[in-house]
Parts: sequence; structure tokens; C-alpha cells
Amino acid sequence: MMPTRLLLLLCLIGPVFATEAPDVDCLIINLKNVSCTWNKKGTPKVNYTFYSSFFNKKEKSCPQYLTENNMNIGCIQPCESGDRFMTFNTRLVHGKDRFKETHGLKNRVKLNPPTNLTVLNGSDFNLWFYWNHTSPARLHCVESEVRFRTNNNNWGFSKVSPEIQKYCINSPSGSSRYELQVRNRIDEGCGSSDFWSDWSEPVFWGSNSSIDSDSVPLWMTLLYVVGAITLILLVVMLLQRERLKIILIPAVPKPSPILHDIEDWFQLSKGLKDNFKASYNEQVCPVREYNYVSQSDSMNSDDSTSSVSTNQTHCSVSIDVNDPEDLYVPLSSSSSQVPSEEVLQVSD
Amino acid sequence: MKLIVFCLFTIYCCSLVKASYPMERKKLQEVLRELKMLKHDIPNTELMMNTPPKDIEDCCCLTALTCFRETLLQHFGISGKYQKKLYKSLNHTLTISGLNFCNTETSTTNCSTCHSHPKEKASEFFNRLESLVQRGLSRIN
Repeated sequence: MMPTRLLLLLCLIGPVFATEAPDVDCLIINLKNVSCTWNKKGTPKVNYTFYSSFFNKKEKSCPQYLTENNMNIGCIQPCESGDRFMTFNTRLVHGKDRFKETHGLKNRVKLNPPTNLTVLNGSDFNLWFYWNHTSPARLHCVESEVRFRTNNNNWGFSKVSPEIQKYCINSPSGSSRYELQVRNRIDEGCGSSDFWSDWSEPVFWGSNSSIDSDSVPLWMTLLYVVGAITLILLVVMLLQRERLKIILIPAVPKPSPILHDIEDWFQLSKGLKDNFKASYNEQVCPVREYNYVSQSDSMNSDDSTSSVSTNQTHCSVSIDVNDPEDLYVPLSSSSSQVPSEEVLQVSD
Repeated sequence: MKLIVFCLFTIYCCSLVKASYPMERKKLQEVLRELKMLKHDIPNTELMMNTPPKDIEDCCCLTALTCFRETLLQHFGISGKYQKKLYKSLNHTLTISGLNFCNTETSTTNCSTCHSHPKEKASEFFNRLESLVQRGLSRIN
């Protein structure tokens, strides 16, 4: 009973004191080296010895350890470009502790960034960028991506197909500054890598004066200063000179409830004003209608008057152009029935 | 006249040799495209098939290719459009030469037969075939 209980106790406590298995993470660098680390969960408490091998190759101990605080945290060792298609076996050993893992590294590749990035102004007036890659990968296995910007604005991205190691910017502006960088990775056709390389060193082309888009050119600064001074002088002059103020800012007539002479609203010259004034008096012309009376009747009458019927009016008016007071005199004529006894009045 | 014809023929043969590398590469790329189409065409299946291993030695790649081709014929036939195309491409001489990594002078490998390979799911079958072709493309110039 007692040994059973002791055994049970050990089984329960054992895992608490057992060393936690380190998690080995491997990456192929530039198809030339394999880099493995086991410090993902923190710096290990013990120094492990690392062994590794690709399928069907002899197991080797680590030729070069990576250390942190005097503890082994990783290993770098050389490999061949085709090894990534094979299973990679790793073994960490410390005393009696042995931790084995298998890795598939086909897609776990990170290439070095492209080199010798150069820019040329082509004969077609376009901007051509060229670069190389340093990995042993075949040209048709490497795809690239460029990023470029103009005058420090936002980056623009563009994929470049495998086998092509150049990029063109059409009709560049001579007053702009261009910056371009490139990165690459293994293409899908050759077992695409999950990681892009780092960006290459940038290359620049264009005018240096357009580098900083925030800075203002000198001529523009002078223009602003001159404009500001002119504006201030104009304001001062307006305040000082009333005449200039009236010319530049004419007074707007203020509407008033009291009816004034409407002619004053118009800026007419005195002569022109006078010409429009017409004052004349029109005498009222009474209009009479006369009925024709027969002679027999008229002879019997003592009235020597004779009458004729007419509807005519005849009036004359006199116009005095020098009277400034009369504004408007309507001309009117009227006809009305006049008594038959009345004689047609003849005007002067 | 005969000499001229002979010279022209020689030049033609030399150009074929130089052009073979791009032709092999194009053929393997075609195989990858057809494999991709087939993977999309067939439904997700739990079908189990004899599948060559993940790790294939250089001199066993052609044996593995034969196993992939025959297993494909056995389980999917060539009635379908993409099945037929893929089968023909896997049987092409350019594909065979493109996946021949064996240096026959040093080869002492005994390769496993197709039926001895353990059965895997169809998805794993196609993934391993894809890896084999990508391996060939990564080696070709």
C-alpha cells in the first residue's frame, strides 16, 4: 500500500519538477545557412547541446552557437539550397534530457535583401532601376517587390515577376525626387517562402531642392513678405486718406423713410440734370360740342349766334423751359358735349 | 548540298539542346498549373492512396514520379479534363528529364515500390507531388 502511494505521489509531483521542453524554431537564411533558436519561451536555464541533420545525412553538432547571457539560445550551420525539401531533425541534449523535433523547412526561407540597386535615365526618358540577388536560388525562383515614393510622400508598391530584376518609372518629373527600395522571396513555383527579405538600401533620383516637401522656396517667401507689406500700406493709406477711401470704397446710399428728391440718387452732372427738367404750364382747354341748328330756327331767334356741331378740340399751350419748379405737366385733351347755344371758341 | 544539309541539321540539334532547359522548366510549370486546377476541381475527398514519402532521395525521384502518375490513373482515371491533362504531362519526356536528379555514376539506391508506400489522404498525395515538381524547378537552370 505504502509503495503504491509513494509511486502515485511521484507521478503527480514529477511533472512539476521536470524540465519544460524547449521549442526549437528554425529558418533557412539565404539558402545557405539554417538558423535555429530555442529561446521563444525565454532564456533557457541550462546550456543545451544542439544536434541536427537533414534527411539521409549524417547528424552534426552545432558549429556556431548563438548566446544570450552566457546561455546557448540558438545555432547557425551551413546547408545546401536543395536541403529545404527534406525533413530537418533537431535534438537538444542536457544531461539526461533529450528533446527531439522534426521540421519542414520548404517554406521557411528568408533571403538576403537585393544588392547593387542602381538607377539609370534611359534613352527613352524613363527611369530604370536594376538590382541583383545574392542567394544561390535560380533567377526564375526569385520574385521581387519594389516600393517607391516621390518627394517623401506615401509609398507605392509593385510586384515584379520572377526572372526580372529591373523596374521602370515612366516619364519622371525633373523637379521631383524619387526613392526606391526592393525586397525578394522564393517564388511559388519553387516552393514559396513565407517571409520576404528585408528592404534593400534605398536609391534616390531627382532634384535635391525638392527633397523636403514642407520647406517653401525662397522666391515664394519673398512674395509672401512683399504681399503682406503691400497690404499693410494699403490699409494705412485707406485710413489716412479719406479721398482715396471714397474712390476705392464708394459710399452706399442709406435708404430713408423720408422721400427725398429721387434725382439726388443719381450721380448726374448739373447740365444733364437741368436738361431733363421741363417746366411748362398747360392751360386747361375746355372742349365744347356744338349742335348744328337750322337757319330758320336761328333767324327766328334774336341770337345772332350760330352754331355748328363739332367734336374738335383746339388748344395751345405755352412751354417755359426755364422754370425749374415744374416737374411734370401732362398734356390732356378732352371732348365733351357742349350746349347748342354756345359758339365754338376759337383760340388765339 | 549534302554538307549544307548536315550543317543545318547540326545547328538545329544544338539549338534544341540549349533550348531544352527552358522547355523543361515550362513543362514543370505547366504540371504545377494543371495540378492546381485538379485540386480545385475535385471535391474534398477522404480517399486514401499510396503516397511516396516526403523525403525522396535524388535517385528515387523518377520512381516516385511513376508512382504518382499510376496512382492518379488508378483512383481518378483520365475521363476528367484536368485528370487527363495532368496524366499526359506527368508522362511527358520533358517532365521525366526535369525530375531526373540522379547521378547514375554514384547511384546505389534501392527505391521503394509504389505499393509499399503507406496510404495517405488525397490532399497529402497532391501536396507531395507538388513538392516534387517544385524541387525540380528549383534545380533547373
